Amino acid sequence: MSDLQIWLMIFGVAVVSMAPRILPVALFSRREMPPLLKRWLSFVAPAVLGALTAVSILAPAGRLDLSAGNLYLWAFFPTVAVGVKSKSIFLTLFAGIISMALIYHLAG
Amino acid sequence: MIKQELYQGIKEAFPIVLGYLPLGFAFGVMARDAGLSAFQSISMSALCLTGAGQFIAIGMSKSGGSLLAIILTNILVNLRYALFAASTVPHLQGRLSPAAATALSYGLTDEVYAVSMNRYRSHEATTAYLAGLVFTAHLAWIGSTFFGALLGHFIGNTEQLGMNFALPAMYISLLVILVQRKSELYVALAAALIAILVGHFIPGAMSTNFNIVAATLIGATMGVLFRE
Repeated sequence: MSDLQIWLMIFGVAVVSMAPRILPVALFSRREMPPLLKRWLSFVAPAVLGALTAVSILAPAGRLDLSAGNLYLWAFFPTVAVGVKSKSIFLTLFAGIISMALIYHLAG
Repeated sequence: MIKQELYQGIKEAFPIVLGYLPLGFAFGVMARDAGLSAFQSISMSALCLTGAGQFIAIGMSKSGGSLLAIILTNILVNLRYALFAASTVPHLQGRLSPAAATALSYGLTDEVYAVSMNRYRSHEATTAYLAGLVFTAHLAWIGSTFFGALLGHFIGNTEQLGMNFALPAMYISLLVILVQRKSELYVALAAALIAILVGHFIPGAMSTNFNIVAATLIGATMGVLFRE
């Protein structure tokens, strides 16, 4: 890619990544949302997190990996346990990173 | 009060920062590898602020993908942000000015979204809180890209430090905290299953995040039906 093309790519990606975040808020900030839409939107967060968690654990490299060699799968369980017990983002993150480092070295 | 809210936002951004460091770093390294200058790499993180989108753009440009293809793929990848943004509106309405709500929405990433939605469960939204959260996360993304772009070749892999699990661990923690009602648990489980099935069976769905969008649409719809 030429220098100009790289800049066009950067600005193009910026526009299509910013527009979907900004437009809905700009559009709806001044008017009331229909109640049904509000209720539907209240389920977006659990759905997104369920999907993101599943994909990041079961397909960490972009394809489904249910083998015992998938280290993410092993790190998943202690992390969930700490999450459920502590309900703390920080402790859960910490437990996840430590588990992964340990598992990486045990498996390596 | 404002100071407190700002501080709270910065504090709650801390786990996000931890998750972004290895990712932004990796992006900086890969962007240089794909032929971007350090300034271009950092500009991209500053202007785009879309992890998956940026990695895809770099990957596609390196393998000779056209500008149009890169932009079109990014539209797909970033579609979910529209859902996030819309679902924050009921919390922001009446609390933030429309201008502030709109402006700060630029920084809505998966992680910023989840952390702020968790906050809104028990606290009112404020401009200072959201600004603290968004700017800190954005700075971490830009800063880690900077280090990756400039120092990438001097530092080995971050995998042995367990840092590659920072984002999955954050998703897990947010999921565990956010899901409180039974209906939400079912929605999360259904969305997890849909994301995996769609990602596995529809070519390209995983790399474009289309499976996340599909899982969100179907999952949220199931949630509404469940509560009826």
